[in-house]
Amino acid sequence: MTQWMVLYRKEWLELIRSSKLIWMPVVFILLGAMQPIMTYMMPDIIANAGNMPEGTIIEIPTPHASEVLAQTLQQFGTLGLLIIALISMGTVSGERMSGTSAMILVKPVAYTSFVTAKWAAIVTITAISFVLGYGAGWYYTAALFDTVAWQDAAGSLLLFGLWLSFIGTLTILFSSLLRSAAAAAFTALGTAALLSIATSLLPKALAWSPGKLAGLASAQLTSGTASGMWPVIGITFVCIIAALAISVWSLRKYPSIEAV
Amino acid sequence: MTLLTVEQLTKTFGGTCAVDGIGFTIHEGRCVALLGPNGAGKTTTIRMLTGLLAPTSGRIAFRGFAPGADHRSVIGFLPQIPALYGWMTGQEFLIYAGRLCGLSAKEAQIRCSGLLERVGIASAAKRRIAGYSGGMKQRLGLAQALIHRPKLLILDEPVSALDPIGRREVMELLRELKQETTILFSTHVLHDAEELCDDVLIMRAGRIAVGGAVSEIRNEHRQPILTLEIEQDEQSRNWLRGWLQAPPAYVQSTSANGGGARLVVTDVHAARRSLMGELLESDVRFTKLEIGHTTLEDLFMKVVTAS
Repeated sequence: MTQWMVLYRKEWLELIRSSKLIWMPVVFILLGAMQPIMTYMMPDIIANAGNMPEGTIIEIPTPHASEVLAQTLQQFGTLGLLIIALISMGTVSGERMSGTSAMILVKPVAYTSFVTAKWAAIVTITAISFVLGYGAGWYYTAALFDTVAWQDAAGSLLLFGLWLSFIGTLTILFSSLLRSAAAAAFTALGTAALLSIATSLLPKALAWSPGKLAGLASAQLTSGTASGMWPVIGITFVCIIAALAISVWSLRKYPSIEAV
Repeated sequence: MTLLTVEQLTKTFGGTCAVDGIGFTIHEGRCVALLGPNGAGKTTTIRMLTGLLAPTSGRIAFRGFAPGADHRSVIGFLPQIPALYGWMTGQEFLIYAGRLCGLSAKEAQIRCSGLLERVGIASAAKRRIAGYSGGMKQRLGLAQALIHRPKLLILDEPVSALDPIGRREVMELLRELKQETTILFSTHVLHDAEELCDDVLIMRAGRIAVGGAVSEIRNEHRQPILTLEIEQDEQSRNWLRGWLQAPPAYVQSTSANGGGARLVVTDVHAARRSLMGELLESDVRFTKLEIGHTTLEDLFMKVVTAS
């Protein structure tokens, strides 16, 4: 456990020294705050666009506060995912490429600790950024539209947070299986997109797929309940553990680049 | 006392056999050089010993560990090019390495300052590693390999990438370390091995061609050698050319060099007497006739160039 903490603290220090701990939360806060503000300003923006023919009447119904927050989640579902993939794409492959993994893994370090400490660091920074970003979104929605019940907001936060962590885990998995960091990010994002599309195309067959998490989070906001969420949550946890196990296996087999 | 026993160690990559069934033992307190030309399989062997590479077959047994057990806690390793986290300071990296090896925070701190002093980078301890020179990185790499007082220190080409001064300093450090721990290091420079080591293992094409204590190998493979140099006049040169074409029976092998020849002989007494006679008889103007022995370098060259 002490060793795990040492590894985790090193990952944490790296996040601080590389400024990721600053810019990632900032980007998430911008993402979260922008959606309610843009929605609120939309009639003015369109009215001032100036290229409307004379006499055009635009009527945009004021959206419900929970809808605004659900749209905010969609922002995190696109740009947020991209940022998470960018942050975690080199976690394992970068260390392997530079040779530092070889330096560390000849010491009596458990392969599982090495991978899980990295994973925990990614999950922590994702959680911090997402909570801050979603909090900003919730605050501006409350200020400009209406307050969303905090229970619903918290429920959707947890569901969507799990989806984001799942993507982070996938990126770590591909980062340990592939040599190139860019390929890892691309594959993880591709898998996420495929999962989401497949889940919406085959809702029956993939009722328990992690791809449903984003939809469940929205449902929690708009309708107050996310029916059928427990099996999805269970499967997602199983997938995360399996992905970590495969990463550990891959690292044990190929601790350094020469061995690949 | 035997520290490490390796038996029938083999590694194949695809179709090529990088290490081909080698076996050797390392005794406690010895300094062992793994010698060989580039591509002989030295790095592959070292990577298998450190556990970074799984052998295709064979056995690596450490004293006190079951064969094949995780023995990483008793080895310290410095790869050919030490990869360090550039965003850490030297001190942070050393403490990190020490903590990973199971030292307490306090112990790691004490070991760290001692080692930084010892490898001579104490003044740069609080600087980021990214700004270190190659020699400083090498020393920090050596320090991190020593942090947990390993029983076996494994170094992959520790001086190849250094300039002559850095090389000198690292060799001095190794000479000191040799008193405290068992060292295995690979090199393609014979001179380094001869200077520092008790034992050598000469590898060639994935096999150990010659192995054992330096002094024994030197004696065992020692052959008398005659070095003859002549003046560059017509008559002497003709004589030498003719003589080399049909050398007498006591000459085992010859090699012409610059203004003379090097002869490996079987019976040094017969050779001396007979050659002297012939030289006088044919009135050869020789400038040098030296009787000596083959060096380790001759053996090394013979072993690594043998086809």
